[in-house]
Amino acid sequence: MSLKNFSELFINLDSSSSTNKKLEILKNYFSINNNLENSWSIYLLTGKKNKRFISGRSIKSFFSDIYEFPLWLIDTCYLRVGDSAEVITLLLNSKNIGKTEVMKDISLDELLNKVLPELAVLKEEEKKLRIKEIWEELPKENLLIFNKILTGTFRVGVSIGLITKSISQLVNLDESIISHRLMGDFEPSAQAYKFLVNKKIDLEELSYKPYPFLLATTFEKKISEESINNFQYEWKWDGIRIQLIKRLGKVSIWTRGEDLVNRSFPELVENTLFIKDDFVIDGELLVWNFKDELPMNFSFLQKRINRKAPSKLIQNNLPIIFIAYDLLELKGEDKRQLNLRNRRINLEKNFHKWISESEKDISKIFKISNLLFPKNWEDAENLKNKSRENGTEGLVIKNKNSIYASGRKKGIWWKYKVDPMQLDAVLIYAKGGSGKRAGLYTDYSFALWKDGQLIKFASAYSGLNNAEIKELDKWIRKNTIEKFGPVRSVKPEMVFEISFENIQVSNRHKAGISVRFPRISKWRKDKHIKDADTLENAKKLMISKS
Amino acid sequence: MTKDSSDLIKYSTQGLYCEIADIWIDPHKPVKKALITHAHMDHFTFGCDEYISTYETSKILKERVGNAINIKTYDYGKEFKINGINISFHPSGHILGSSQIKFNFGGETWLITGDFKRQKDYTCKEYEKVKTDYLISESTFGLPIFKWEEAQKTAGDISKWVDSSPDKTSILFCYSLGKAQRLLNEISKSNFKNNIYTHNSINNMNNCYKKLGINIVNTEKFDKTQNLDKFKGSLILLPPALHKGSYLKKFKNIQTGFASGWMAIRALRKRSGYDKGFVISDHADWEAILNTVKESEAKNVFFHHGDSDALSRYLNEKSSINVLNFESRK
Repeated sequence: MSLKNFSELFINLDSSSSTNKKLEILKNYFSINNNLENSWSIYLLTGKKNKRFISGRSIKSFFSDIYEFPLWLIDTCYLRVGDSAEVITLLLNSKNIGKTEVMKDISLDELLNKVLPELAVLKEEEKKLRIKEIWEELPKENLLIFNKILTGTFRVGVSIGLITKSISQLVNLDESIISHRLMGDFEPSAQAYKFLVNKKIDLEELSYKPYPFLLATTFEKKISEESINNFQYEWKWDGIRIQLIKRLGKVSIWTRGEDLVNRSFPELVENTLFIKDDFVIDGELLVWNFKDELPMNFSFLQKRINRKAPSKLIQNNLPIIFIAYDLLELKGEDKRQLNLRNRRINLEKNFHKWISESEKDISKIFKISNLLFPKNWEDAENLKNKSRENGTEGLVIKNKNSIYASGRKKGIWWKYKVDPMQLDAVLIYAKGGSGKRAGLYTDYSFALWKDGQLIKFASAYSGLNNAEIKELDKWIRKNTIEKFGPVRSVKPEMVFEISFENIQVSNRHKAGISVRFPRISKWRKDKHIKDADTLENAKKLMISKS
Repeated sequence: MTKDSSDLIKYSTQGLYCEIADIWIDPHKPVKKALITHAHMDHFTFGCDEYISTYETSKILKERVGNAINIKTYDYGKEFKINGINISFHPSGHILGSSQIKFNFGGETWLITGDFKRQKDYTCKEYEKVKTDYLISESTFGLPIFKWEEAQKTAGDISKWVDSSPDKTSILFCYSLGKAQRLLNEISKSNFKNNIYTHNSINNMNNCYKKLGINIVNTEKFDKTQNLDKFKGSLILLPPALHKGSYLKKFKNIQTGFASGWMAIRALRKRSGYDKGFVISDHADWEAILNTVKESEAKNVFFHHGDSDALSRYLNEKSSINVLNFESRK
């Protein structure tokens, strides 16, 4: 029941690749530790809101000050290791630490509820001394975990799903109940763990929690062997997926990332209160351009999310709409086990009733997802290819006979996305990766031509396989022009096909454009840099879209 | 032609070269005369007219590449002369037979450490402290994040790892020459009770060590045509080359580990795909490199292999030692 146990748990999980083994390790851990420690462990393992007590930068400079150790050398080490907490732990190995081990039995609760919050409010100089003290009082084996918790970077390869499964097996309760109880905020306490494993299922206890979201998987060709009529078709919007909840008269808006965002969208809360019934609706939130009847770019939505308590002006300039997809709960009754046909009928019936019954006109903000009716699969493909014209990114195809399951389950919903936009660009900068990719150059910047010059237009990290990453890393090291800290400029020689979802005007970028979700789709070894695209070509993509 | 000893030994991507003696050290291309520091294959190239090494290195090399090579041997500490330069081998503590090479020319000395370590290793001679004017040191692990634990502690960890999974076969990957023998030696001294099997390439090296008078615990040869259930609960040592590919496909219930200094870094461990990393190295760690530089009393130091930039800058800032760069001297 301690940091020591948790540290062992981390090592055990970290050194096993089999899911079954991890499951056994978790079950064993939860069965031998007390409620309070289990609660903190879940908090750390799910990593939803792990607090950062000091920054990665601070831990490095504290170490540098305490041990009179050059900061540049720590930074050099960081490039190899890719994690501040780990670098410092490795460097501590040769220091006089773990002297007293007086903290060897410290509990997670004491650490996270007392020691660290107390440390966080200290002045810099005292903070430094306190951290040194702790390093000396903790056993060596627990330092990595401590430093990770301290910097809020604790992570280990277990999913929420696996944690859910382990607890569900341990206490013999249905997984969907555990996962529902784990939704939203999880405030660690003995009570919270007791609630999690409670055999009695009390709906009221869950009243503020969203249901686990049902997530779409990527479209598979084999689906088109089935009849087109087995499925429901809707546009795939590029907004934020939310559950709009009204229970016992209270409204909550939960994102798919399990953030409560009521404060960012007060007008939605307000309008929802005009609906008489209680309900849970799954849908999409968008910032809407009413003139063109098109969604506004995602960056505007981002602005709205980040702005808590937005002014009326912002609400007017960046108006939102909510598109309802699915009715999960009505008047306190869980409807997720109904099939989609029936859920849709329920949704339509109630939605129209609510709009017409409301004292205030709420039809401006509340929309219902329009269904599309392709006649055959070719038709569906054509629809998908035209999706950019109305500001969507493809289709969502839903099995009409399916229930509303939890998580990313195959065979229920599919996303059928429009092909990405593509440009051939030249690699001009590379930066060292972090985490698993430490010690390799894996963060790349790409440029397009403008008046005979290469102008940076996007950065991308993903898309190459491990062998290509290694090969490119070698090439980068050999073809470096200049080093600026962790960044190298390289000879403009390599051309890559970059895929992205969207393109927009941007004043913040030198190129005057920015792209969404850029990634490498192909290493064009066959292309010379003079064959790379120009900024003009990029801008044409923007025009052809609208 | 070299006039004085200040550039007696030069660096190229093909290896280190002494022009006056017309001799290469661990060359990567066939040359007339090659000094070989030790018998790891990345320090050996086929096709040289003549090789010169310690007796142990010659024996191991012949075991690995056959008897056809023309190899001359000298004992540690015994000076021999080539074109007026006195050359001698000194133990480097890396593996059995490994050596540092000292060049003495006109009263000034150059020392090439070769691969070396300062930790205790019961399967080879301990590193000999040699004073020199010019030092060429390896710096494979030249960052302060590398700090080796006692080998006995690592052996204990391996032992615990095997014990903790009695229903599994534990497969530990390690280099066939040097690392495997050191591990076997340390494991046999720990409380290890389970069976140990070794791959043929490791067996050959074990036998070679035994013939050269090193005590290596007897292990059974790993034969994967046997019923694999037999290996449950035991430890199998395999060379790393067998980790990827189809070699292990037949095994159901295994856990894998890799014994190497690189396993100190979690990202490398995760990328490499081994379940577990055991940190044990036959190279010097950061502190050992710094100590070696200091004890050698060298005024001029070169580093090669690994992170030489950090070491150079650190020494230039913290000491009066002149750290030179091969590249910029060209």
